[in-house]
Amino acid sequence: MTLAIIAAGIAVFTGIGAGIGIGFATGKASEAIARQPEASGKINSALLLGCALAEGTAIFGFITALLIIFVG
Amino acid sequence: MDAFKESLVEELGTHTAFTIPLFGGISVAESVVVTWIVMAVLLIAALLLTRNLSVRNPGKVQIVLESAVQFLNGFVKTNIGKHWRPFAPYLGTVALYIGFANIIGIFGLTPPTKDISVTTALAIMSMLLIYGSQFRYNGLLGGLKKFAAPMPLLLPINLMEVIIRPLALCMRLFGNVLGAFIIMEMLKFIVPVILPAVFSIYFDLFDGLIQTVVFVFLTTLFTGEGIKGEEEE
Repeated sequence: MTLAIIAAGIAVFTGIGAGIGIGFATGKASEAIARQPEASGKINSALLLGCALAEGTAIFGFITALLIIFVG
Repeated sequence: MDAFKESLVEELGTHTAFTIPLFGGISVAESVVVTWIVMAVLLIAALLLTRNLSVRNPGKVQIVLESAVQFLNGFVKTNIGKHWRPFAPYLGTVALYIGFANIIGIFGLTPPTKDISVTTALAIMSMLLIYGSQFRYNGLLGGLKKFAAPMPLLLPINLMEVIIRPLALCMRLFGNVLGAFIIMEMLKFIVPVILPAVFSIYFDLFDGLIQTVVFVFLTTLFTGEGIKGEEEE
């Protein structure tokens, strides 16, 4: 059981990637909006798409961790 | 800690609301019952809000409704292109359903999207929409050719996407709602007063609406990608 807990902890490390990815994307988006405020609508929708895709990895890690704890 | 884990496992499972005594018992899950409630609310709202519509002097409700429909139509139009018309009603319906399903946790009901079967069904519907429209508007050969776009080297990746896209859509919605639900349960376990109410605004309302937007946006975008020819992009 303790080994499973450690495995679940390692699975949650996928959050690092998602965090870095969303951070980069948001930073670049704010830069782009500062440069071209009139294009903020298009930039926002592109940012939303990128964040959703980047967040997917963290969600997969989270679900894997849940499966390890409750099913495995 | 064990008691907490027990209660969490109890919450994670899908509950059976009641059983229909036919053919040896058909069990009806809780998510189905909550979906019926959402359907009833939406139906009654639709019936009440669309009374007394008029062309000459529209009321306040009608103006709000019209601008909402116009926003949806414009959004679908920019993302799908010239064949946008048949997609707007479906996408709007899905958005309303997921939105209500996600924020119904505020009223103390279990969100149906916490049940993985519901999100799987939604994702399969999205997959059929994306690839069905790809073949519907490009013809059989043109639809097949889309899998080799933008270059034939990407064919295996495009074929993998047929499975990965719905899987990611399904897991994203399910994981977000479930994660929010678990964090709320933990908060209620540790601090039973005030704090859960504050966090509920973020986790139930904000996160639920964001996930609705993301689901509908991704479905629209993938559909548009499958339909659009190279000349009109």
